[in-house]
Amino acid sequence: MTLTASPAPAEQLPPPATGPVGRWPGLPAWQRTVVVVVGALAVMSLVRVISGANGLTSQGTIGAALRLAVPIGMAGLGGIFAERVGIVNIGLEGMMVLGTWFGAYGAYEFGPWWGLLLGVAGGALGGLLHAIATVTFNVDHIISGVAINIVGPGLARFLSVIAYDAESGGSATQSPRRSGEIADITVPGISSGLKSLEDRHWFFVSDVAGVVRGLTTSVSLATIAAAVILVAASFLLWRTRFGLRLRAIGENPYSAESLGVPVLRIKYGGVVLSGMCAGFGGAFLSIVLASIYREGQTGGKGFIGLATMIFGNWRPGGLAAGALLFGYSDGLQLRASSAVPALFLLAAILCALVAAVDVARKRFVAASIVSAAGAMFLIGYLTVDELADSLSYLTPYVVTLVVLATSSQRLRPPAAEGQPYRRGEAH
Amino acid sequence: MKRTRRLLSLVALVSAVSLLGAACGDDTDDTGSDTGGGDTTEQKSEIKVGLAYDIGGRGDKSFNDSAAEGLDEAASTLGLPAPKELSPSKDEDREANLKLLAEGGFNPIIGVGFAYADSVTLVAEANPDITFATIDTVVDLPNVRNNVFAEQEGSFLVGAAAGLKTSSKKIGFIGGVETELIKKFEAGFVAGVKQTSPDSTVEAKYITPDGDFTGFNDPAKAKEIAAAMYEGGVDIIFHAAGGSGTGLFDAAVAAGDGKWAIGVDSDQYLNASPEQQKHILTSMIKRVNVAVRDTIQAFADGDTEGKTVVLDLKADGVGYSTSGGYIDDITSQLDELKDKIIAGEIEVPTSPS
Repeated sequence: MTLTASPAPAEQLPPPATGPVGRWPGLPAWQRTVVVVVGALAVMSLVRVISGANGLTSQGTIGAALRLAVPIGMAGLGGIFAERVGIVNIGLEGMMVLGTWFGAYGAYEFGPWWGLLLGVAGGALGGLLHAIATVTFNVDHIISGVAINIVGPGLARFLSVIAYDAESGGSATQSPRRSGEIADITVPGISSGLKSLEDRHWFFVSDVAGVVRGLTTSVSLATIAAAVILVAASFLLWRTRFGLRLRAIGENPYSAESLGVPVLRIKYGGVVLSGMCAGFGGAFLSIVLASIYREGQTGGKGFIGLATMIFGNWRPGGLAAGALLFGYSDGLQLRASSAVPALFLLAAILCALVAAVDVARKRFVAASIVSAAGAMFLIGYLTVDELADSLSYLTPYVVTLVVLATSSQRLRPPAAEGQPYRRGEAH
Repeated sequence: MKRTRRLLSLVALVSAVSLLGAACGDDTDDTGSDTGGGDTTEQKSEIKVGLAYDIGGRGDKSFNDSAAEGLDEAASTLGLPAPKELSPSKDEDREANLKLLAEGGFNPIIGVGFAYADSVTLVAEANPDITFATIDTVVDLPNVRNNVFAEQEGSFLVGAAAGLKTSSKKIGFIGGVETELIKKFEAGFVAGVKQTSPDSTVEAKYITPDGDFTGFNDPAKAKEIAAAMYEGGVDIIFHAAGGSGTGLFDAAVAAGDGKWAIGVDSDQYLNASPEQQKHILTSMIKRVNVAVRDTIQAFADGDTEGKTVVLDLKADGVGYSTSGGYIDDITSQLDELKDKIIAGEIEVPTSPS
């Protein structure tokens, strides 16, 4: 099925973020996307108006969501490239660390754009290492990945001692501040023009204004670059011969081999591309989100990226939705933690919607379970005035759980993922 | 073909191992021992000090470097023969390093940083004849000297500075990890603000909850929190977030003139970039070097019993910096407050109300 390059509309679509909508068969893909986005925004707006938590759709929160989604999304994209070619890449975190180090080094020595390039190169180095181990030597993918997660930080520490120890502001665990920075762009007119509209706090209209402002105010050129990379990767994987071959290898390398596809070479290509994406995510973290390399800076974002890839069903569209979701919950927790209790209400409304669909389809057991969960969320919303800080930290994880629970579970990894491949040993 | 593969894998293995070895092997034992070689009395020269740093080791331009400075000071006054310094590259190394020092006959042995609490407990119990010392944590054993700081007192002074300097009457605090230790900073800071500007409000936010120590190494999150605070009208933010603090400084740079940040632990103005320096009002200083120096001095004087020493304003264990000259006009008021705290006229709280 993946051997035919049919651009099936369903393949372009993010997984249903708000449950039932994605299953509507009648509409073309882009219309379904529009329905999902508008519907989600309407629900958010309703929650905001009821709870008065204006941080939910404010420009600041949306802007932060976009920024914070980039490293996770790029790591996840790295995961897609590797796993689509059949290589499990648990070493994304280590490759990302290499990206943060080389990115910060390049940004300090030559300037931020060179830093991004160097970060990509650093990640590619990690990818190459993984490819040599898993493709050439058939090392177990998990073991090689774990090794890279150890080697990456070790190498970064080793290089820091050499490069930064004597520098002012640098040390064995951090780099000096980068020189220069990547420009932010603000679309003139829109951002300031919509501000008064956002400040009115009207139903829906102000939320649209907040989201549009968030996406047009102080957006780093590197963020735009990340979006371009995501679209380009999507095109590469689904609309080019290379992409078709790559995905075919992930499904059945021996079939691909019998058709004359250079399996080993493409496997190398996929894993190195994977490292490059993770490296970009790491470099973005140390150059744009921060201004230095700092040991331990990635804080598990490579693993979150891997989870996002699974959540997105090994597809760029779903990955983007997942990364934005993580970015949003992170941004909300950091910037407007007083708005977090309103998410209880959001969860309750989502549960009610899902339960309604279940009833319509006569799945009464599922409906009653979901309604019970919804009732619990509603009670939570009504009884909790202000969430203790210790609970608001959990926002990203709770949001993920709720969304995973309410969205359908039709995930399918590439068939030959994680399996060893030896040329000419078809069976 | 097969042989070249085997050769290649061998090369890969060797290079990987040597890489790891290089990454872990930054233990330094060439310290300031040569600075005070030939003077003072001979019975003192038997003190073999073992210093176990926290991650980063000598050269971190922060906590560990301050400890190293204290060791160098003690070495130059007492003439210590070859003190041994070890720094861990991962968490499990702490206990191993302490054991290594104990087996090597080092006495006293100092574990730098709160993360040594468990490992010092274990190793000190097993070696009752050796004197251990901790910094920033308390281990209740008869052979452990605990050095804790009155962070709330130093934080009180920078809080008072913020209260005097604010024009928006909105002040922020960013904590790295929500631990009891970091809450002491918040409590003192808030009390200091209220002392000099009773109608100011302080917005406090922690990066991660207790147990998740990534909050000390996440400048990106600190920057996001600080940016939101500045956008909300806050004009001065104090951080107690270790390595995340540069994110605050970056947010202050991005927010522009009139937005200030306050550093922590060391005089952060000195290691900041020129654009950041324009926004660093002052720093709350913890003098780890005083703790290390005094510990070694006390040992040399024969004081080996377990106790807890509080390094407060009186002991010159905490203070504030004036680099940049942004608070030169208020230092007399701050010093007045400092005297009152030392005299006991002002009692600084240790936990946020």
